[in-house]
Amino acid sequence: MEKTLVVKNLALAFHQERRPVTILAGVEFEISSGETLALVGESGSGKTLTALSIVKLLPPQARLETGEVRLNGQSLTSLSEREMENIRGRQVGLVFQEPSAYLNPVFTIGNQIEEAIKSSLSRKEKKERVAQMLAEVGLDEKHYWHYPHQLSGGMQQRALIAMALINHPSLLIADEPTTSLDVTTAVQIISLIKTLIKKHHLALLFISHDIALAHYFADRMAVMYAGRLVEIGPTRTVFNSPRHPYTESLIACLPEKYKPGEKIRAIPGTVPDFANLPSGCPFHPRCHRRMERCFREEPEMFPVASALVRCFLYGNSVATEPGN
Amino acid sequence: MRRFWQRLWKKSKPAGVALIVLFLLYATALLANFLSPYPYERQFREYSLCPPTRIHFIDSQGRFHLRPFVYGITVVNPAFKRYREDHTRLYPIKFFAEGRRRILGVEPPGKIFLLGTDLHGRDIFSRILHGARISLSIGLIGVSISFLLGLIIGGVSGYFGGRLDTVLMRLVEIIMTFPSFYLLLALRASFKPNISSLQLYLLIVIIMSLIGWASLARIIRGMVLSLKEEEFVMASRSLGLSTFRIITRHILPNTFSYTVTALTLSIPGYILGESTLSLLGLGIQEPYPSWGNMLSICVGNLRILTLAPWMLTPGLCIFVTVMCFNFLGDGLREVMDPRNW
Amino acid sequence: MRRYIVRRVLQFVPLLFGMTLLSFLIIHLAPGDYFTQLKMNPQISPETIAAMERNFGLDKPVLVQYFYWVKNILTFNLGESFAYHVPNAFLIKERLLNTVALSVFSIMATWMLAIPLGIYAARKKGCWQETVLSAAAYVGISLPSFFIAMLLVFLAARTMVLPIGGTTSIFWTGASLWEKFVDYLRHLLLPGMALTLAGIGSLYRLMKNNFLEALGSPYILTARAKGLPPVLVLYKHALRNAVNPMITIFGYELSGILSGAALVEIITNWPGMGRLILDAVLSQDLYLVMASLLIGGFLLILGNLIADILLVMADPRIRLR
Repeated sequence: MEKTLVVKNLALAFHQERRPVTILAGVEFEISSGETLALVGESGSGKTLTALSIVKLLPPQARLETGEVRLNGQSLTSLSEREMENIRGRQVGLVFQEPSAYLNPVFTIGNQIEEAIKSSLSRKEKKERVAQMLAEVGLDEKHYWHYPHQLSGGMQQRALIAMALINHPSLLIADEPTTSLDVTTAVQIISLIKTLIKKHHLALLFISHDIALAHYFADRMAVMYAGRLVEIGPTRTVFNSPRHPYTESLIACLPEKYKPGEKIRAIPGTVPDFANLPSGCPFHPRCHRRMERCFREEPEMFPVASALVRCFLYGNSVATEPGN
Repeated sequence: MRRFWQRLWKKSKPAGVALIVLFLLYATALLANFLSPYPYERQFREYSLCPPTRIHFIDSQGRFHLRPFVYGITVVNPAFKRYREDHTRLYPIKFFAEGRRRILGVEPPGKIFLLGTDLHGRDIFSRILHGARISLSIGLIGVSISFLLGLIIGGVSGYFGGRLDTVLMRLVEIIMTFPSFYLLLALRASFKPNISSLQLYLLIVIIMSLIGWASLARIIRGMVLSLKEEEFVMASRSLGLSTFRIITRHILPNTFSYTVTALTLSIPGYILGESTLSLLGLGIQEPYPSWGNMLSICVGNLRILTLAPWMLTPGLCIFVTVMCFNFLGDGLREVMDPRNW
Repeated sequence: MRRYIVRRVLQFVPLLFGMTLLSFLIIHLAPGDYFTQLKMNPQISPETIAAMERNFGLDKPVLVQYFYWVKNILTFNLGESFAYHVPNAFLIKERLLNTVALSVFSIMATWMLAIPLGIYAARKKGCWQETVLSAAAYVGISLPSFFIAMLLVFLAARTMVLPIGGTTSIFWTGASLWEKFVDYLRHLLLPGMALTLAGIGSLYRLMKNNFLEALGSPYILTARAKGLPPVLVLYKHALRNAVNPMITIFGYELSGILSGAALVEIITNWPGMGRLILDAVLSQDLYLVMASLLIGGFLLILGNLIADILLVMADPRIRLR
């Protein structure tokens, strides 16, 4: 099947005062149309920057070092800013974390959705299109005239979804779309997104720090740590038999994995600072299965079953394993 | 003190420079008698509106003099205030030329007017040095009195709240509803014009403080209100400390950094207030100079303005001082901000 | 929205009342018996004294005098000028128009210059253009308005390009209405420029910071993610949000503008309220001082009300509360 999104060997660095700081390295994944890929990791692991580098909406100090992004067969890497404006909104829609901040407070919902329409339609046609979209995301036609502050958080997120999908893009990027919402609203938004991607046959990149939510949601799952993908594969494989020690600990920390009376677990240590990453495998200081080699070398992705895992436990480890 | 300076210099170079310039300005004001070539009230009637005297190293024959000198001044046309350098008379600049009390000068009958003379032939440079005493001191004194008033009223208003707070804040609001210049003039009008120089100086300070306390009181009240709810104040109250002790020992020190910044930034207002009143003839009176009243002759007097633009130099002094306080205030804000530590 | 405005107007009523009280007290609580002073003043005719005594209850206690005065204000009787021997209301009306013209001119000029400059500097953040503009703004903020006015008067006197002082040229009578208007504007230019230069620095700084803040907001990312062209992102989404807080501070700025206008008027000899109140103070024309003070405060309240209404129109968050 034709891949909607192909990301190859993406590397991103921040160029600040002195030396450049590498944020993303060797990020690779694909999403077919109709498929949902969940990108999971702790906050500060580079998930949002991965999403933003796909559409090239990076902060000024960030620069793409290597890598290619192909959307529907077209390479985005060499496109100019003008050409990217045509891609954004038309082929990729984005939904963000905190709907109240991501909507402009001084314009009506209708105005903000309508201006996103890329095809040249008459004013009346545009209005109809917006009304149709509002209905699709579960908003009322009267909300066209409302300002963001008059809507609840859930309704604001619906408006943002409408805005992202108004041009029927082939890819939707949802960056923690439910994090700032309360649980019942979050469930509604999740099921809305599920309905919409099924209906429009959308490819979805779903970014979340919540591996359980991703499990419920996604066809495939990618786990990110310190700007690197550490494990990627079908959701069931990754979730039920995690291979990478990091994925393992993430899943072990989930509340539903506890027996009554058991102590709360957490991964020891903290997320490393990008400016001084540990040598070798960036996860080794927090890893309970580290080997001597992990201090020196950074592992590649090794195929394990139907997944790819970035850990020496699963590839050409025999030669250097201590004691052998 | 040294740590403060290091931090200020690191955070903001302009603020550091401003602090040095201000220090120099205040030092010159203190040493005005010693640094000025002439007494501020000394009139050289025949040299009215004389342009700034040029200082030479090379004379008309092309000879170089290690000691800088000035030429004598010849009056060309007394009506149109035209002067010419007299190249036959040459007066070297000497230390203690006019007795032991003034550091720089030339031997009489030579004259040295570094910034020219005013209508009465008084040396503007000497007058600026003396005027600095008024303009620079009034800012500090005015701010101190306003701050004291604002501190008491704002503190009481914020701490006790209730009806007292309502009444005081309405008063603040009313005062701030008048354009300050109108209020300044109206307050000035309600006091009799004929009083002594010292009384007038105090009067100006009082008038400006009567206007200035309002905004400071509002700031302080706001800070007290937010601090009152803080836990450490609650804690000291539960320990049974008296109201006075809570205010002086706990609330005030915590508002210190913000207050210092606000005060520094409000000093220019007082300097400008004084110069405005003096400029309009309602402030410091002749013959005593202030930067404001030295400019007053230029108001509406195009002939003097075009004949003698050097009369505007006191305005430059005000500008430099105000700018220094602005730089310093902005720098202090950066330094004092706890988030920057 | 209408209810909001009505509520604001009603809030101003007690403030107005307080202002009259304060204006009155400032003049009357001053040391010295004011009434005897009036009688001693040779400039004031006995008839005027008698009329004032009747109208303002000058022989009565201070508090009663206040109520007389307020009653008179409500009927637009602001007393008679001792120096000019005409009603104060008449004097003020003429001057007020000039002051309002000057203030409006300079407010418009300041905004029209400061907003584009602020946007430009925000977009050139970190470049030399921003450094130069911000340094110039610092100089502008620190230059006293009267000094700017004096420098401009000096320049105008040297170059003779602009008329100095007054509102009209000598050929006033024969001119058409349009010529009169242009002539008035030409005279307005000098004080107007002085006042504009005095106010532009702080407004520029504010606009720059607001625009930078707006540019860093999440909704800008949304707008870009929609694929909007930069023109719309900058001048629709960022600009509207950057200008709104400026309207709020308009009320505060106005106090400075009115004070500055009065001072600049005196320096450039523009016949407005500033000159009037100064002359009144110099000639101890106290009822005129009182009236001018009140009018100044009233202008400020009016300006604040206008700012409130503008803000309500610009910001849906307030409008629809």
